[in-house]
Amino acid sequence: MKCGLEIHVQLETNSKLFCECKTNYQEAPANTNICPVCLNQPGAKPYPTNEKAIENALMISLMLNCKIDKNLTYFMRKHYDYPDLPSGFQRTSVPIGYEGELNGVGITEIHMEEDPGQFKPDRGIVDFNRSGIPLIEIVTEPEMYSPEEARSFLKELIRVLQYSGGARGEGTMRADVNISIEGGNRVEMKNINSIKGAYKALKFEIVRQKNLMKRGVEVKQETRAFLESQMITVGMRLKEDADDYRFIPDPDLPPMKVSDEDIAEVEETMPEAPHNKVKRFIESYNIDEESAKVLTSELDLAVAYEEIVKEIDPKFAAMWMKDELQRVLTYNKLSFEDSGIVVDDLIELFSLLQNKEITTKAGQRIIENMPNNKQTPKAIAEELGLIGIVKDDEIIEAVKKTIKENPKAIEDYNNGQKASLNFLVGQVMKLTRGKADPGETVKLIKDNIN
Amino acid sequence: MNIFEKSQAIKNQELKAKDNLDNFLRTIDNTNDSINAFLEINKEDAINKAETLDKKIQNKEKVGSLAGLVFSIKANINVEDFIISAASKTLENYKGSYNATVIDKILKEDGIILGITNMDEFAAGSSSETSYYGITDNPAAPGRIPGGSSGGSAATIAGDMCDISLGSDTGGSIRNPASHCGIMGFKPTYGAVSRQGLIDLSMSLDQIGPMAKDVTGLSMALDTIVAHDPSECSSIDYKKPNFTQTALNAKNSESPFEGMTIAVCDEFRSITDDKINKIVDKKINELSSLGAEVIDFCFHYIDLCLPTYYLINYVEFFSATRKFDGRKFGHRIEDVCGDEVFRRIEMGSYISQKEFSGKYYKHALKARSLIKDEINAMLKGLDFIMSSTVPKLPHKIGEKLDPMEMYAYDVLTVIANLSGIPAASMKAGEVDGIPVGLQIQANSLEDEKIIHALSALEEI
Repeated sequence: MKCGLEIHVQLETNSKLFCECKTNYQEAPANTNICPVCLNQPGAKPYPTNEKAIENALMISLMLNCKIDKNLTYFMRKHYDYPDLPSGFQRTSVPIGYEGELNGVGITEIHMEEDPGQFKPDRGIVDFNRSGIPLIEIVTEPEMYSPEEARSFLKELIRVLQYSGGARGEGTMRADVNISIEGGNRVEMKNINSIKGAYKALKFEIVRQKNLMKRGVEVKQETRAFLESQMITVGMRLKEDADDYRFIPDPDLPPMKVSDEDIAEVEETMPEAPHNKVKRFIESYNIDEESAKVLTSELDLAVAYEEIVKEIDPKFAAMWMKDELQRVLTYNKLSFEDSGIVVDDLIELFSLLQNKEITTKAGQRIIENMPNNKQTPKAIAEELGLIGIVKDDEIIEAVKKTIKENPKAIEDYNNGQKASLNFLVGQVMKLTRGKADPGETVKLIKDNIN
Repeated sequence: MNIFEKSQAIKNQELKAKDNLDNFLRTIDNTNDSINAFLEINKEDAINKAETLDKKIQNKEKVGSLAGLVFSIKANINVEDFIISAASKTLENYKGSYNATVIDKILKEDGIILGITNMDEFAAGSSSETSYYGITDNPAAPGRIPGGSSGGSAATIAGDMCDISLGSDTGGSIRNPASHCGIMGFKPTYGAVSRQGLIDLSMSLDQIGPMAKDVTGLSMALDTIVAHDPSECSSIDYKKPNFTQTALNAKNSESPFEGMTIAVCDEFRSITDDKINKIVDKKINELSSLGAEVIDFCFHYIDLCLPTYYLINYVEFFSATRKFDGRKFGHRIEDVCGDEVFRRIEMGSYISQKEFSGKYYKHALKARSLIKDEINAMLKGLDFIMSSTVPKLPHKIGEKLDPMEMYAYDVLTVIANLSGIPAASMKAGEVDGIPVGLQIQANSLEDEKIIHALSALEEI
């Protein structure tokens, strides 16, 4: 199968795209964030396009590695008749960015649109608070080959949008999902409002289409609606009934031109996209892809890593942050940002480890105590008595004591029960309060038994 | 007494604003039923405003530049609390829900907005016969059409029902009725006056402008409404002149046309009624004797003008009327509109179809830039293009014209809209008692120059 996506997400702005009404449409009582412009009263004309919206669209395009159209860009009127559309047309721009890439999937184009109002038949109203809120539509190439790929693409995309700060999250996402299976025609699924929804819709559609093919029924080119409540798709219309939107350039809005300076300005201030960061982390810090992905999964974490590696070996820091820090965050269900763990604490911890002032085991215990703890790692270590690696003769003493006190375990070990060794190591650790090096301990036990 | 002098008289307490208004109200009482120029007036508010102004003036309080002058407004410009129907059943229940930018400006300068004028339905016409509220008569040539689409506005001026009217001009809708009614009408440079609040006919061509009996009326209105409007994207930001001062200066100038060059075109003359040409030629010759140099110019694209204009008009009008879907305003436009509006919507819908997108509309846009370039080239180094405003006399009310005959009224006026340049019409004379207009066009943003010319000509 092949899958392509058209994803709409609201841009993060204070005011609407063509007027000064506020954008907090969900909180505001119905039809209170409205004016003659977004209500499209007779004679009302759009204000000049919201510059913040253009800037955000440009930034997201650049973060998705798009080329930017430096010719004139302008808004088109897309005409259709629906209760939530007070002008009878939707303003939709020509592409701002094109030929981008994310996760190995081509981005065909990115353009801006205005959101329509919300038709609420159950309440018998149309709420125009949402009318005129800026959106971007991101159109991908049909280059996802399984529901899982589509899902991970969408996850990654939402992450980029979060990174950008220029768009609202998955909650405002609306996606059209195109799927074609070899031997069938392209089917477009509408009304998909979540990543999970896209995944489920694709799963359902593959089964449905394969069943049709099995029975020798042609898969027609059509538009289907996804019913979120039931996780199924139902037919909407066949291709022959496709609407003609009678696109014309909007005569009320002058064309815009994106200059090199505009691009440079946005590039200077925009955050690096996570997938670009992954590439750079791998190259600059010589770490593996998995670590790079974990480190960039959260912007604050990535920023922290780059601070830490100024003082700590990048590979060592990456390993600890990927494995131990991540384990602790997951266990506590915390993001790095909310964990209260700061860069200086991590640098201190990693220095203790690298300088062999504490053991790995001790490090693990310390980091477990770090979330939302005002104490420094050193203070934690001191409180738990974890400072210092036990000298060899102390370990030897502990080993000897262990052997002496556990004749049964020695016997078992000698009789081939290798697990007994772990028990013995554990005993040594107990005696040294975790300060012995586990590898060294094993060697010493073996030497002393023989 | 011209309108400027009248406004001075009001401010000097030589004339009461209330008396000025009462004069108009009496005329309206006597004649509006037969002329059908005003669709709605708000007598009470107007009287209150006039009395308040008189009191303020008496108390030596500061009043605006338009204090006491009485305005009528075309029914496609939003004024709060009046029915702004665009003379269509579609909007028979729509009350202006906000003030157009130009209305706020007039109110701020203490102009009195008396009422709303009749027009062709949605401004799609050149005769004021297509209004849902009936035909408007021509006070200057009773029994004939007043022209259109701002025919009601022109009739309120010609019929002495107010001082100044605001109309809108998409292909001649200010100048054409000004010509037929023997008054002055001015279409400013596209973008000089905000369109915010003007109900769309064809967005890239529409422009609001003033109509009045004399040039000081036009210029006082322009001083108020020409302004950059940051809420409207086609509004231009330029150093605006003092139109009234220009008009007054021109009257005192000894040789107002010295060193000026005026172009006339055979292509315009050849499609114009001979009787009209005779009157207009005479006027232009007078200019010659006042020091202007009159030269002949060729305009190659006269045949392109009307098709280009109407294709753009149809498509933009189709788009603009999609909001009249019956949900918000009660009637779906296609269900209740007249023939001409329906024709334009259908044509617009047809030619903007995907399969034709390259064929008609884009060609029209190309033709438009050709016309614009040609006009700009022609005006380079020139001051004016002059011709008749309308190529034929207004027909008798009741006479049936087919659409192409009706469109032919617009051939000389659409050029200014297609190229965005300013243009005005003033009375040049009469043919058998019917007024004939002289059209003056100038370079983009040279609106002031036209005011100068109108004012100087007014003195001849």
